[in-house]
Amino acid sequence: MRIVVTYKWTCDPEEATVRADGTVDWSRAKPGISTYDPVAMELARRLADAAGAELIGLTAGGKGVGTPIAAKAALSRGLDRVVIIEDESLREAGRSELAAVLAAAVRRIGDVDLVVTGDSSVDVAAKMVPTVLAGELGWPAVAEVTAVTGQAGALRVERAIPGGVQVLEISGSAVLAASADAAVPHVPGMKELLAAGKKPVDRLELTALDVPARSAVMTVTGRARPERKARKSQLIDTSDPAAAAAELVTALRVAGAL
Amino acid sequence: MDFELSDEQQLIRDAVREFAEAEVAPIAAELDRDHRFPTELLPRLAEMNLMGMPYPEKVGGAGADYLSYVIAIEELSRACASTSVVVSAHSSLATWPVFKFGTEAQHERYLHDMASGRRLGAFALTEPAAGTDAAAGTTTATLHADGYALNGSKMFITNAPYAEVYIVFAKTDPERGARGMSAFIVEKDTPGFSVGEAEHKLGIRGSSTPPVYFSDCRVPKEALLGVEGDGFKIAMATLDGGRIGIAAQALGIAQAALDASVAYAKERVQFGKPIAALQAIQWMIADMATEIDASRLLVYRAASFLDNGRPYSTEGAMAKLFASETATRVAGKAIQIHGGYGYTESYPVERNYRDAKITEIYEGTSEVQRMVIARSALR
Repeated sequence: MRIVVTYKWTCDPEEATVRADGTVDWSRAKPGISTYDPVAMELARRLADAAGAELIGLTAGGKGVGTPIAAKAALSRGLDRVVIIEDESLREAGRSELAAVLAAAVRRIGDVDLVVTGDSSVDVAAKMVPTVLAGELGWPAVAEVTAVTGQAGALRVERAIPGGVQVLEISGSAVLAASADAAVPHVPGMKELLAAGKKPVDRLELTALDVPARSAVMTVTGRARPERKARKSQLIDTSDPAAAAAELVTALRVAGAL
Repeated sequence: MDFELSDEQQLIRDAVREFAEAEVAPIAAELDRDHRFPTELLPRLAEMNLMGMPYPEKVGGAGADYLSYVIAIEELSRACASTSVVVSAHSSLATWPVFKFGTEAQHERYLHDMASGRRLGAFALTEPAAGTDAAAGTTTATLHADGYALNGSKMFITNAPYAEVYIVFAKTDPERGARGMSAFIVEKDTPGFSVGEAEHKLGIRGSSTPPVYFSDCRVPKEALLGVEGDGFKIAMATLDGGRIGIAAQALGIAQAALDASVAYAKERVQFGKPIAALQAIQWMIADMATEIDASRLLVYRAASFLDNGRPYSTEGAMAKLFASETATRVAGKAIQIHGGYGYTESYPVERNYRDAKITEIYEGTSEVQRMVIARSALR
């Protein structure tokens, strides 16, 4: 059985700061594996161990995703090898374009029985890539996956639904997006980290992949910050609780909050 | 000169930080308040391969370089100085002499278990009347037909109640002073060996440091580490490396105090603005950050020298001296920045302050470090 788990090498927006002119300063943000991907890696590793499957990490992005430290960070989390598509043209790629590239890579890897992805990415959080990827491959997509067991061609999947758990049986290949709380990611031990550098890293050239041409091109042409209102500051004397509560309600109504 | 950490060192730092924040930091205050040893963390520390990081994989260690080990101690100390000293005392003080001076049989019997974290170690050198003057120890080891009989006592023995393997220093020839000292490996349930009540300390309260007693404690000849008379040399060589681990502990404590101070200064509002906007606070933070960075450079340099086979005694002494005194100073400033709140248990800086002081004392006091440095400088 062959399982692919996709991951993103990116910066956490929490570490970026916004300058006074509204531009974003990423200089202090350290790139790393997107927060939700280790959950997917953990879920996939458990299945791979139980099924005796090969677990392959797959990533695509701009310059930097293929650095040794990025590969080692991924490999230390239980992957058997990684496949990397590093091309600067992918830095600003839209979700659909990225999913198409990942699908082409999955086809190139060959004989893939299952793709597992994170719930979303820490930076964009669009939650689109797993579904579009599945569409490109012609496979079913299942989101909010909390557990997966079974073998190639006979998977049993649990997913969270409002108020409960849904159980699915899938008889072919599929793309599963792991729920953000599906598993507590295993923190790599020192031996795993030191062994990561010895595992295989395969690089695919974007131009050599069979990525269908896009019929439409999307370009980001602008960004704007929401209008920020000046914060009000009103002190209410609370020595008389009833009067203070009435004054608070009045103030909130005047401000349009109630 | 390349000041960048390698990929592996960066990843190790990030992983240990992740582990420490998730599993160690949440119980640090409780361990301190209850004077409780972190028994539940021992299996996890072993699973993370943190108990024998710098030892080769073939003997059960992680095969990491010493700088990576020092970085791990720093990150553990940021979360909990008690937990970090459990690891460093085990790894640097107890496991290292077995690795360096042990026979193949001793490696087989002890090293694999110690380096993998299956068995915890302790280092028993200090006595009631022999601290800095370690050669003045009066614990004896008398040779008999079937082995040695140990008699005496040791105090402040980190990990003692939970350890299974003890490196014990005793005089096989009391007339010869330091040259008459030998080292032994003593196992936990050896008749005649007992562990006393743990001390109640100012800081690192989660680390257990009771006395241990030897009353006609019989060990086989195979328990001798090295040869008779090698004990003082083994002890001093062990402490040479161990003090880099303590320097890393001090560094982690100082970093934790600074992190807490920065967070507090950004939130605490006085005179209508965060106190981080006040120059008095900014200058304190600047001094703290600079001294911590200087400590880090000294600590990492000492570890790098050890990794590269260069002499490191002086550099290790400088690192421990500077980092420990920095930790005490920085932790004091951290309380000052926190004001009255810093004096309460509501904020972690009071624990940082109490934990910092011991780093100026154990594994060689600041005065001893100054002697080592002066001897080198005045050669």
